[in-house]
Amino acid sequence: MATDGLHENETLATLKSEAESLKGKLEEERAKLHDVELHQVAERVEALGQFVMKTRRTLKGHGNKVLCMDWCKDKRRIVSSSQDGKVIVWDSFTTNKEHAVTMPCTWVMACAYAPSGCAIACGGLDNKCSVYPLTFDKNESMAAKKKSVAMHTNYLSACSFTNSDMQILTASGDGTCALWDVESGQLLQSFHGHGADVLCLDLAPSETGNTFVSGGCDKKSMVWDMRSGQCVQAFETHESDVNSVRYYPSGDAFASGSDDATVCF
Amino acid sequence: MAGFTQHNALKMSSREAFGCDIGQARRAVEQLRMEAGLDRIKVSKAATDLLQFCTEQAKSDPFLVGIPAATNPFKEKKPCAIL
Repeated sequence: MATDGLHENETLATLKSEAESLKGKLEEERAKLHDVELHQVAERVEALGQFVMKTRRTLKGHGNKVLCMDWCKDKRRIVSSSQDGKVIVWDSFTTNKEHAVTMPCTWVMACAYAPSGCAIACGGLDNKCSVYPLTFDKNESMAAKKKSVAMHTNYLSACSFTNSDMQILTASGDGTCALWDVESGQLLQSFHGHGADVLCLDLAPSETGNTFVSGGCDKKSMVWDMRSGQCVQAFETHESDVNSVRYYPSGDAFASGSDDATVCF
Repeated sequence: MAGFTQHNALKMSSREAFGCDIGQARRAVEQLRMEAGLDRIKVSKAATDLLQFCTEQAKSDPFLVGIPAATNPFKEKKPCAIL
C-alpha cells in the first residue's frame, strides 16, 4: 500500500507540473492576442448620459429575503422565490399575486418561468429542482401537481428552462450543472469541472447555439457545450466566488460578477 | 449580518469535499491541453465586433431611446374626466 501511495504521488506531481506549464502557455497565447484594450476601441463612442429610472411597482408579500426572480415571456408575470420558503407568481401590472407555493424547505435560491408561461421551476435547500404547472383551477392545489425533476447532492443555486418547457438546466452546491428532461425526470447531461459550488448559470442567446456559462466558488467561469457536456473554456480571473454570469446579447461575450467586488467582461 | 453569514456558510461547507486525486489531475491536464489548442481571435477584432453590435442595438434600446408613454404598460394612466 505504501509503494502505491508513492507511485501515486509521483504521477500526481508530474500531472500538476504539466497543468502549471499548460496554464502558463495559455496565458502566453492570450497575451499575444491582447493587442488592444476594449476601452481604447470604444474611445470614440459617445458616453451615456444619466439614466432616469423610476420605480413603477413594488411587489410586497415575501416574508424574508427575495433570492431569485424571473420574468415570464408575456412581459407581465414574474415568479420570485424567497428565504422564507415561498414562491410567488405576480401580475406586475396589477401587483396581484396569482399563485403562491410553500416549499418544503427554506432558502429557495432558484426559480424560473417556463417559456410557455404554463409552469415554473424552483428549488434550493431541498437539493431538487421541482416543476409546478400553473393552474387557475381553485380545486387543484399547485403542490399536488408538483414534479421533482432534478436531484442534486447539495443545494440548488440556479435553474433555467432551455428554449422549451421540456428541459431544465440546473446548477448546484454539489459542484455540478445538469440538464434534465422535465417529463421523465431523466438526467440528459451532467457538467463536471467546477472545483466547488456552482452559484449561477446563463444560457447563450438562442440564435448562437447550444452553450451556457456557469460561475462558482472556485473563482472560475466556465463555458459548456450542452450536447457533449464538455467545458469549452474556463476563465479564472476573479479572486473570489463568481456569483453571477450573463451572456452578452450577441452571444460572443459574457460578464461575471464576483465577491471580489469586480465585474469582468 | 447573520443572514449573510448563514448564506456564506452554505457555500463554504462544500469546499472540503473537493480534494485532488489522480483522476482529477488527469482530467485537468486534458482540459488544459484542449483549451491550449482552441482557435482564438485578437482582442482588437473581438472588441470591434462587440462595438458594432452594441451600436446597432442602441437604436432599439429602451434605456437609450425611451418608451413612449402610450405604450408603457407600467405608466399610470391619467384619469379621464367626463365633462
